[in-house]
Amino acid sequence: MDFANFDIDQIFGMGDDTNPLLWLIWIIPIVIFMFYGQRIQLQVTSGDIRKNIEKLKQLKEESRKELIGYIQKELKPKSDPTEKLDRFINYFTIMPVDMDPNGIIPKVRHIMRSREEHTRSQVKAIFSDIDTLEVTKVQNLLEIATTLQLLYKIVNHLFLTAKKQNNYPLILPLQMILPFIMEEADALKGAIPALKDGQPIGDGIGPMVVGKMMLGTQKQKVTFETVWSQTEHDGRKLYLLKAEGPLATVGRPGDAVEQIVSQNKPDAIIMIDAAVKLEGEDSATIAQGFGAAIGGIGADRFQIEEIATKNNIPIFAIVIKQSIKEAITTMTKEIADKADVASSQLYEMITEHTKPGQSVLVVGVGNTLGVSQ
Amino acid sequence: MIFSKKEEKETYTIEKCVSCGNMIKRKFKTGDFLFKETNECQSCKGKIIIEKIFAETIKA
Repeated sequence: MDFANFDIDQIFGMGDDTNPLLWLIWIIPIVIFMFYGQRIQLQVTSGDIRKNIEKLKQLKEESRKELIGYIQKELKPKSDPTEKLDRFINYFTIMPVDMDPNGIIPKVRHIMRSREEHTRSQVKAIFSDIDTLEVTKVQNLLEIATTLQLLYKIVNHLFLTAKKQNNYPLILPLQMILPFIMEEADALKGAIPALKDGQPIGDGIGPMVVGKMMLGTQKQKVTFETVWSQTEHDGRKLYLLKAEGPLATVGRPGDAVEQIVSQNKPDAIIMIDAAVKLEGEDSATIAQGFGAAIGGIGADRFQIEEIATKNNIPIFAIVIKQSIKEAITTMTKEIADKADVASSQLYEMITEHTKPGQSVLVVGVGNTLGVSQ
Repeated sequence: MIFSKKEEKETYTIEKCVSCGNMIKRKFKTGDFLFKETNECQSCKGKIIIEKIFAETIKA
Protein backbone atom coordinates (compact mmCIF):
# COMPACT_ATOMS: atom_id res chain seq x y z
CA MET A 1 0.00 0.00 0.00
CA ASP A 2 1.30 3.41 -0.94
CA PHE A 3 0.85 5.68 2.07
CA ALA A 4 2.55 8.62 0.39
CA ASN A 5 -0.07 8.92 -2.34
CA PHE A 6 -3.47 9.51 -0.75
CA ASP A 7 -6.12 12.14 -1.37
CA ILE A 8 -7.32 13.93 1.73
CA ASP A 9 -10.51 15.11 -0.03
CA GLN A 10 -11.42 11.53 -0.77
CA ILE A 11 -10.92 10.45 2.82
CA PHE A 12 -13.25 13.17 4.18
CA GLY A 13 -15.65 12.90 1.25
CA MET A 14 -15.13 16.48 0.11
CA GLY A 15 -14.13 15.90 -3.48
CA ASP A 16 -16.41 16.70 -6.46
CA ASP A 17 -16.72 13.05 -7.40
CA THR A 18 -17.65 11.96 -3.83
CA ASN A 19 -20.26 9.30 -3.41
CA PRO A 20 -23.28 10.95 -1.61
CA LEU A 21 -23.76 7.71 0.30
CA LEU A 22 -20.33 8.15 1.92
CA TRP A 23 -21.27 11.71 2.82
CA LEU A 24 -24.46 10.49 4.49
CA ILE A 25 -22.50 7.95 6.55
CA TRP A 26 -20.65 10.93 8.08
CA ILE A 27 -23.54 13.28 8.54
CA ILE A 28 -26.33 10.98 9.82
CA PRO A 29 -24.58 9.89 13.05
CA ILE A 30 -23.72 13.52 13.76
CA VAL A 31 -27.37 14.51 13.41
CA ILE A 32 -28.51 11.52 15.49
CA PHE A 33 -26.02 12.31 18.27
CA MET A 34 -27.00 16.00 18.18
CA PHE A 35 -30.66 15.30 18.86
CA TYR A 36 -30.63 11.95 20.62
CA GLY A 37 -27.17 11.82 22.21
CA GLN A 38 -28.42 12.19 25.77
CA ARG A 39 -31.12 9.55 25.28
CA ILE A 40 -28.57 7.09 23.89
CA GLN A 41 -26.26 7.78 26.83
CA LEU A 42 -29.24 7.33 29.18
CA GLN A 43 -29.99 3.93 27.64
CA VAL A 44 -26.35 2.77 27.87
CA THR A 45 -26.00 3.96 31.48
CA SER A 46 -29.41 2.56 32.40
CA GLY A 47 -28.35 -0.97 31.54
CA ASP A 48 -25.44 -0.84 33.96
CA ILE A 49 -27.47 0.79 36.73
CA ARG A 50 -30.33 -1.68 36.27
CA LYS A 51 -27.88 -4.57 36.81
CA ASN A 52 -26.67 -2.99 40.07
CA ILE A 53 -30.25 -2.37 41.22
CA GLU A 54 -31.02 -6.04 40.60
CA LYS A 55 -27.98 -6.96 42.69
CA LEU A 56 -29.08 -4.59 45.46
CA LYS A 57 -32.54 -6.17 45.40
CA GLN A 58 -30.98 -9.60 45.67
CA LEU A 59 -28.74 -8.50 48.56
CA LYS A 60 -31.62 -6.98 50.54
CA GLU A 61 -33.78 -10.07 50.01
CA GLU A 62 -30.94 -12.40 51.01
CA SER A 63 -30.21 -10.39 54.16
CA ARG A 64 -33.92 -10.51 55.10
CA LYS A 65 -34.04 -14.27 54.49
CA GLU A 66 -30.86 -14.82 56.52
CA LEU A 67 -32.28 -12.79 59.43
CA ILE A 68 -35.60 -14.66 59.45
CA GLY A 69 -33.83 -18.00 58.95
CA TYR A 70 -31.40 -17.33 61.82
CA ILE A 71 -34.21 -16.36 64.20
CA GLN A 72 -36.40 -19.31 63.30
CA LYS A 73 -33.62 -21.90 63.31
CA GLU A 74 -31.41 -20.77 66.17
CA LEU A 75 -33.57 -18.75 68.54
CA LYS A 76 -36.95 -20.52 68.56
CA PRO A 77 -39.42 -17.56 68.64
CA LYS A 78 -42.84 -17.73 70.33
CA SER A 79 -44.60 -17.43 66.95
CA ASP A 80 -43.74 -16.69 63.30
CA PRO A 81 -41.82 -13.38 63.47
CA THR A 82 -41.83 -12.68 59.69
CA GLU A 83 -44.54 -10.01 59.75
CA LYS A 84 -43.00 -8.19 62.71
CA LEU A 85 -39.51 -8.34 61.22
CA ASP A 86 -40.77 -6.96 57.92
CA ARG A 87 -42.25 -4.05 59.85
CA PHE A 88 -38.92 -3.43 61.64
CA ILE A 89 -37.01 -3.59 58.34
CA ASN A 90 -39.20 -0.80 56.98
CA TYR A 91 -38.66 1.49 59.99
CA PHE A 92 -37.38 4.94 59.11
CA THR A 93 -35.73 7.67 61.15
CA ILE A 94 -36.51 11.36 60.73
CA MET A 95 -33.50 13.42 61.70
CA PRO A 96 -34.05 16.67 63.64
CA VAL A 97 -34.41 19.97 61.79
CA ASP A 98 -30.94 21.43 61.12
CA MET A 99 -31.91 24.95 59.98
CA ASP A 100 -30.89 26.10 63.45
CA PRO A 101 -28.09 23.66 64.34
CA ASN A 102 -27.67 24.95 67.90
CA GLY A 103 -28.48 22.12 70.29
CA ILE A 104 -29.02 19.54 67.55
CA ILE A 105 -26.69 16.88 69.03
CA PRO A 106 -28.86 16.03 72.08
CA LYS A 107 -31.84 15.79 69.73
CA VAL A 108 -29.97 13.40 67.39
CA ARG A 109 -28.84 11.34 70.39
CA HIS A 110 -32.38 11.22 71.73
CA ILE A 111 -33.85 10.04 68.43
CA MET A 112 -31.15 7.40 67.90
CA ARG A 113 -31.46 6.10 71.47
CA SER A 114 -35.27 5.97 71.25
CA ARG A 115 -34.98 3.98 68.04
CA GLU A 116 -32.37 1.64 69.53
CA GLU A 117 -34.36 1.07 72.73
CA HIS A 118 -37.60 0.50 70.86
CA THR A 119 -35.97 -2.03 68.50
CA ARG A 120 -34.38 -3.82 71.46
CA SER A 121 -37.67 -4.17 73.30
CA GLN A 122 -39.45 -5.28 70.12
CA VAL A 123 -36.78 -7.92 69.46
CA LYS A 124 -37.05 -9.18 73.05
CA ALA A 125 -40.84 -9.39 72.69
CA ILE A 126 -40.49 -11.93 69.86
CA PHE A 127 -38.96 -14.48 72.25
CA SER A 128 -40.00 -15.84 75.61
CA ASP A 129 -36.39 -16.24 76.67
CA ILE A 130 -33.36 -14.72 74.92
CA ASP A 131 -29.91 -13.73 76.21
CA THR A 132 -28.37 -10.30 75.69
CA LEU A 133 -25.75 -11.57 73.19
CA GLU A 134 -28.46 -12.87 70.87
CA VAL A 135 -30.51 -9.67 71.24
CA THR A 136 -27.51 -7.59 70.14
CA LYS A 137 -26.79 -9.98 67.25
CA VAL A 138 -30.41 -9.79 66.02
CA GLN A 139 -30.33 -5.99 66.37
CA ASN A 140 -27.20 -5.81 64.19
CA LEU A 141 -28.66 -8.22 61.61
CA LEU A 142 -31.82 -6.13 61.55
CA GLU A 143 -29.73 -3.00 61.02
CA ILE A 144 -28.06 -4.64 57.99
CA ALA A 145 -31.39 -5.68 56.46
CA THR A 146 -32.84 -2.18 57.07
CA THR A 147 -29.82 -0.43 55.54
CA LEU A 148 -29.85 -2.66 52.44
CA GLN A 149 -33.59 -2.08 52.05
CA LEU A 150 -33.05 1.68 52.30
CA LEU A 151 -30.14 1.65 49.80
CA TYR A 152 -32.25 -0.31 47.33
CA LYS A 153 -35.22 2.03 47.70
CA ILE A 154 -33.14 5.21 47.27
CA VAL A 155 -31.16 3.95 44.25
CA ASN A 156 -34.30 2.60 42.59
CA HIS A 157 -36.13 5.89 43.21
CA LEU A 158 -33.34 7.98 41.66
CA PHE A 159 -33.11 5.66 38.67
CA LEU A 160 -36.85 5.54 38.00
CA THR A 161 -37.14 9.32 38.36
CA ALA A 162 -34.40 9.87 35.74
CA LYS A 163 -36.03 7.34 33.41
CA LYS A 164 -39.49 8.82 33.88
CA GLN A 165 -38.25 12.31 33.09
CA ASN A 166 -36.00 10.97 30.31
CA ASN A 167 -33.36 13.17 31.90
CA TYR A 168 -29.75 12.09 31.41
CA PRO A 169 -28.11 14.64 33.78
CA LEU A 170 -30.37 13.33 36.58
CA ILE A 171 -28.82 9.89 36.26
CA LEU A 172 -25.21 11.16 36.39
CA PRO A 173 -24.94 11.64 40.19
CA LEU A 174 -26.36 8.13 40.64
CA GLN A 175 -23.84 6.69 38.17
CA MET A 176 -21.01 8.40 40.07
CA ILE A 177 -22.08 7.30 43.56
CA LEU A 178 -23.26 3.78 42.67
CA PRO A 179 -19.85 2.02 42.92
CA PHE A 180 -19.51 3.30 46.51
CA ILE A 181 -23.04 2.21 47.37
CA MET A 182 -22.38 -1.24 45.91
CA GLU A 183 -19.14 -1.54 47.88
CA GLU A 184 -21.02 -0.74 51.08
CA ALA A 185 -23.87 -3.12 50.19
CA ASP A 186 -21.40 -5.96 49.52
CA ALA A 187 -19.67 -5.26 52.82
CA LEU A 188 -22.98 -5.30 54.69
CA LYS A 189 -23.90 -8.64 53.15
CA GLY A 190 -20.44 -9.98 54.02
CA ALA A 191 -20.97 -9.01 57.68
CA ILE A 192 -23.89 -11.42 58.15
CA PRO A 193 -21.90 -14.68 58.69
CA ALA A 194 -19.59 -13.00 61.24
CA LEU A 195 -22.59 -11.66 63.17
CA LYS A 196 -24.40 -14.99 63.17
CA ASP A 197 -21.33 -16.84 64.47
CA GLY A 198 -20.31 -14.14 66.94
CA GLN A 199 -16.86 -13.65 65.37
CA PRO A 200 -14.81 -10.49 66.05
CA ILE A 201 -14.97 -8.00 63.17
CA GLY A 202 -12.27 -5.59 61.95
CA ASP A 203 -13.93 -2.73 63.84
CA GLY A 204 -13.33 -4.71 67.03
CA ILE A 205 -9.56 -4.09 67.01
CA GLY A 206 -9.86 -1.19 69.51
CA PRO A 207 -11.89 -3.23 72.01
CA MET A 208 -9.46 -6.14 71.40
CA VAL A 209 -6.43 -4.07 72.45
CA VAL A 210 -8.17 -2.61 75.52
CA GLY A 211 -9.93 -5.91 76.36
CA LYS A 212 -6.55 -7.64 76.63
CA MET A 213 -5.30 -4.90 78.97
CA MET A 214 -8.41 -5.41 81.10
CA LEU A 215 -7.72 -9.12 81.70
CA GLY A 216 -7.26 -9.81 85.39
CA THR A 217 -8.67 -6.43 86.47
CA GLN A 218 -11.91 -5.71 88.32
CA LYS A 219 -14.48 -4.81 85.64
CA GLN A 220 -17.40 -2.52 86.43
CA LYS A 221 -20.39 -1.43 84.37
CA VAL A 222 -20.22 2.30 83.77
CA THR A 223 -23.15 2.91 81.40
CA PHE A 224 -25.38 0.78 79.23
CA GLU A 225 -23.37 -2.11 77.68
CA THR A 226 -20.10 -0.36 78.59
CA VAL A 227 -17.49 -1.50 81.11
CA TRP A 228 -14.38 0.01 82.67
CA SER A 229 -11.57 -1.03 85.00
CA GLN A 230 -8.39 0.37 86.53
CA THR A 231 -4.80 -0.75 86.23
CA GLU A 232 -1.31 0.77 86.37
CA HIS A 233 1.54 1.19 83.94
CA ASP A 234 4.93 2.67 84.72
CA GLY A 235 3.61 4.71 87.65
CA ARG A 236 0.58 5.99 85.72
CA LYS A 237 -2.99 5.11 86.65
CA LEU A 238 -4.92 3.76 83.65
CA TYR A 239 -8.70 3.86 83.33
CA LEU A 240 -9.65 1.30 80.69
CA LEU A 241 -12.96 1.60 78.89
CA LYS A 242 -14.71 -0.48 76.23
CA ALA A 243 -18.11 -1.81 75.20
CA GLU A 244 -19.20 -4.92 77.07
CA GLY A 245 -17.98 -7.96 75.15
CA PRO A 246 -18.63 -10.36 73.64
CA LEU A 247 -21.91 -8.58 72.83
CA ALA A 248 -22.45 -7.12 69.35
CA THR A 249 -22.44 -3.56 70.64
CA VAL A 250 -20.43 -0.35 70.60
CA GLY A 251 -21.74 0.60 74.05
CA ARG A 252 -22.15 4.23 75.03
CA PRO A 253 -18.61 5.64 75.01
CA GLY A 254 -19.78 9.27 75.13
CA ASP A 255 -21.72 8.85 78.38
CA ALA A 256 -19.00 6.62 79.84
CA VAL A 257 -16.15 9.09 79.11
CA GLU A 258 -18.24 11.92 80.57
CA GLN A 259 -18.81 9.95 83.76
CA ILE A 260 -15.21 8.78 84.20
CA VAL A 261 -13.76 12.22 83.42
CA SER A 262 -16.07 13.99 85.87
CA GLN A 263 -15.22 11.49 88.63
CA ASN A 264 -11.50 10.91 88.04
CA LYS A 265 -10.19 13.88 86.00
CA PRO A 266 -7.60 11.98 83.92
CA ASP A 267 -4.62 13.91 82.51
CA ALA A 268 -5.01 12.48 79.00
CA ILE A 269 -7.46 10.51 76.91
CA ILE A 270 -6.22 7.96 74.37
CA MET A 271 -8.69 6.45 71.92
CA ILE A 272 -8.00 3.34 69.83
CA ASP A 273 -10.26 2.68 66.89
CA ALA A 274 -10.45 1.22 63.40
CA ALA A 275 -10.35 3.82 60.63
CA VAL A 276 -11.33 3.55 56.99
CA LYS A 277 -8.13 3.47 54.91
CA LEU A 278 -7.63 5.72 51.92
CA GLU A 279 -7.22 4.13 48.48
CA GLY A 280 -3.58 3.16 48.06
CA GLU A 281 -3.00 2.75 51.80
CA ASP A 282 -2.14 -0.69 53.11
CA SER A 283 -4.59 -2.54 55.31
CA ALA A 284 -3.74 -2.97 58.99
CA THR A 285 -1.33 -0.04 59.13
CA ILE A 286 -1.28 1.85 62.40
CA ALA A 287 -1.37 5.63 62.59
CA GLN A 288 -1.22 7.99 65.54
CA GLY A 289 -2.86 11.38 65.80
CA PHE A 290 -4.83 13.85 67.82
CA GLY A 291 -8.55 14.18 68.47
CA ALA A 292 -11.42 11.86 69.26
CA ALA A 293 -11.11 8.71 67.15
CA ILE A 294 -14.72 7.59 67.01
CA GLY A 295 -17.11 7.15 64.10
CA GLY A 296 -20.86 6.93 64.01
CA ILE A 297 -23.32 9.75 63.64
CA GLY A 298 -21.18 12.17 65.68
CA ALA A 299 -23.13 12.37 68.96
CA ASP A 300 -20.52 10.44 70.98
CA ARG A 301 -17.62 12.34 69.42
CA PHE A 302 -19.27 15.63 70.25
CA GLN A 303 -19.81 14.54 73.86
CA ILE A 304 -16.18 13.40 74.27
CA GLU A 305 -14.78 16.57 72.66
CA GLU A 306 -17.05 18.70 74.84
CA ILE A 307 -15.99 17.11 78.16
CA ALA A 308 -12.30 17.05 77.16
CA THR A 309 -12.39 20.73 76.19
CA LYS A 310 -14.19 21.72 79.41
CA ASN A 311 -11.55 19.93 81.51
CA ASN A 312 -8.61 20.87 79.26
CA ILE A 313 -7.65 17.22 78.67
CA PRO A 314 -5.67 16.39 75.51
CA ILE A 315 -7.08 13.61 73.33
CA PHE A 316 -4.70 11.31 71.44
CA ALA A 317 -5.67 8.68 68.90
CA ILE A 318 -4.32 5.41 67.56
CA VAL A 319 -6.10 4.05 64.50
CA ILE A 320 -5.76 0.78 62.63
CA LYS A 321 -6.52 1.33 58.95
CA GLN A 322 -8.84 -0.99 57.03
CA SER A 323 -11.41 -1.03 54.23
CA ILE A 324 -15.16 -0.74 54.87
CA LYS A 325 -15.51 -4.45 54.13
CA GLU A 326 -12.70 -5.43 56.50
CA ALA A 327 -14.22 -3.25 59.23
CA ILE A 328 -17.54 -5.07 59.29
CA THR A 329 -16.59 -8.62 58.33
CA THR A 330 -14.59 -11.20 60.33
CA MET A 331 -11.27 -9.70 61.44
CA THR A 332 -8.46 -10.52 59.01
CA LYS A 333 -5.19 -12.10 60.17
CA GLU A 334 -3.28 -8.94 59.22
CA ILE A 335 -5.47 -6.81 61.50
CA ALA A 336 -5.49 -9.33 64.36
CA ASP A 337 -1.66 -9.54 64.20
CA LYS A 338 -1.45 -5.77 64.70
CA ALA A 339 -3.18 -5.86 68.11
CA ASP A 340 0.13 -6.34 69.96
CA VAL A 341 1.86 -3.63 67.91
CA ALA A 342 -0.99 -1.20 68.67
CA SER A 343 -0.75 -2.16 72.32
CA SER A 344 2.99 -1.39 72.51
CA GLN A 345 2.44 1.92 70.69
CA LEU A 346 -0.26 2.72 73.24
CA TYR A 347 2.10 2.10 76.20
CA GLU A 348 4.75 4.20 74.47
CA MET A 349 2.22 7.00 73.98
CA ILE A 350 1.25 6.84 77.65
CA THR A 351 4.84 7.23 78.84
CA GLU A 352 5.60 9.95 76.28
CA HIS A 353 2.61 12.14 77.06
CA THR A 354 2.19 11.72 80.80
CA LYS A 355 4.42 11.75 83.89
CA PRO A 356 4.48 9.17 86.70
CA GLY A 357 1.64 9.83 89.13
CA GLN A 358 -0.70 11.07 86.40
CA SER A 359 -3.66 9.18 84.99
CA VAL A 360 -4.85 8.26 81.50
CA LEU A 361 -8.25 7.20 80.18
CA VAL A 362 -7.82 4.58 77.45
CA VAL A 363 -10.90 3.98 75.28
CA GLY A 364 -11.21 1.00 72.94
CA VAL A 365 -13.76 2.17 70.39
CA GLY A 366 -15.76 -0.12 68.11
CA ASN A 367 -18.12 -3.05 67.96
CA THR A 368 -16.97 -5.57 70.55
CA LEU A 369 -18.66 -8.63 69.04
CA GLY A 370 -16.68 -11.71 70.01
CA VAL A 371 -14.24 -9.67 72.14
CA SER A 372 -14.54 -10.09 75.90
CA GLN A 373 -12.41 -8.42 78.57
CA MET B 1 -16.85 -9.32 36.47
CA ILE B 2 -14.79 -11.46 34.12
CA PHE B 3 -11.52 -11.03 36.02
CA SER B 4 -12.86 -11.03 39.58
CA LYS B 5 -11.76 -13.99 41.68
CA LYS B 6 -14.01 -15.83 44.08
CA GLU B 7 -12.41 -15.79 47.52
CA GLU B 8 -12.99 -18.51 50.06
CA LYS B 9 -12.26 -17.74 53.67
CA GLU B 10 -11.89 -19.87 56.76
CA THR B 11 -12.03 -18.58 60.31
CA TYR B 12 -9.38 -19.78 62.75
CA THR B 13 -8.98 -19.56 66.51
CA ILE B 14 -5.57 -19.21 68.16
CA GLU B 15 -5.38 -20.54 71.71
CA LYS B 16 -2.45 -19.52 73.89
CA CYS B 17 -1.24 -20.75 77.28
CA VAL B 18 -0.88 -17.78 79.62
CA SER B 19 2.00 -19.50 81.51
CA CYS B 20 4.21 -21.15 78.87
CA GLY B 21 3.05 -19.25 75.77
CA ASN B 22 2.28 -22.46 73.87
CA MET B 23 0.00 -21.73 70.91
CA ILE B 24 -2.51 -23.89 69.05
CA LYS B 25 -4.26 -22.97 65.81
CA ARG B 26 -7.60 -24.61 65.12
CA LYS B 27 -10.80 -23.96 63.15
CA PHE B 28 -13.28 -21.55 64.75
CA LYS B 29 -16.12 -23.16 66.72
CA THR B 30 -19.42 -21.44 67.55
CA GLY B 31 -19.15 -20.08 71.07
CA ASP B 32 -15.51 -19.01 70.72
CA PHE B 33 -14.73 -15.44 71.67
CA LEU B 34 -11.53 -13.55 72.44
CA PHE B 35 -9.96 -14.04 75.89
CA LYS B 36 -12.32 -16.91 76.71
CA GLU B 37 -10.72 -19.51 78.97
CA THR B 38 -10.88 -22.81 77.15
CA ASN B 39 -8.67 -25.59 78.51
CA GLU B 40 -5.76 -26.43 80.72
CA CYS B 41 -2.34 -26.51 79.06
CA GLN B 42 -1.20 -30.09 78.37
CA SER B 43 2.45 -29.31 79.10
CA CYS B 44 2.37 -26.88 82.07
CA LYS B 45 -1.24 -27.11 83.33
CA GLY B 46 -1.54 -23.35 82.86
CA LYS B 47 -4.62 -21.44 81.79
CA ILE B 48 -5.33 -21.39 78.03
CA ILE B 49 -7.21 -18.44 76.58
CA ILE B 50 -8.33 -17.56 73.07
CA GLU B 51 -5.71 -15.07 71.87
CA LYS B 52 -6.94 -14.37 68.33
CA ILE B 53 -9.84 -15.13 66.02
CA PHE B 54 -9.34 -14.25 62.36
CA ALA B 55 -10.37 -15.07 58.81
CA GLU B 56 -7.79 -16.29 56.29
CA THR B 57 -8.17 -16.62 52.55
CA ILE B 58 -7.75 -20.28 51.63
CA LYS B 59 -8.53 -20.07 47.89
CA ALA B 60 -8.15 -17.03 45.68
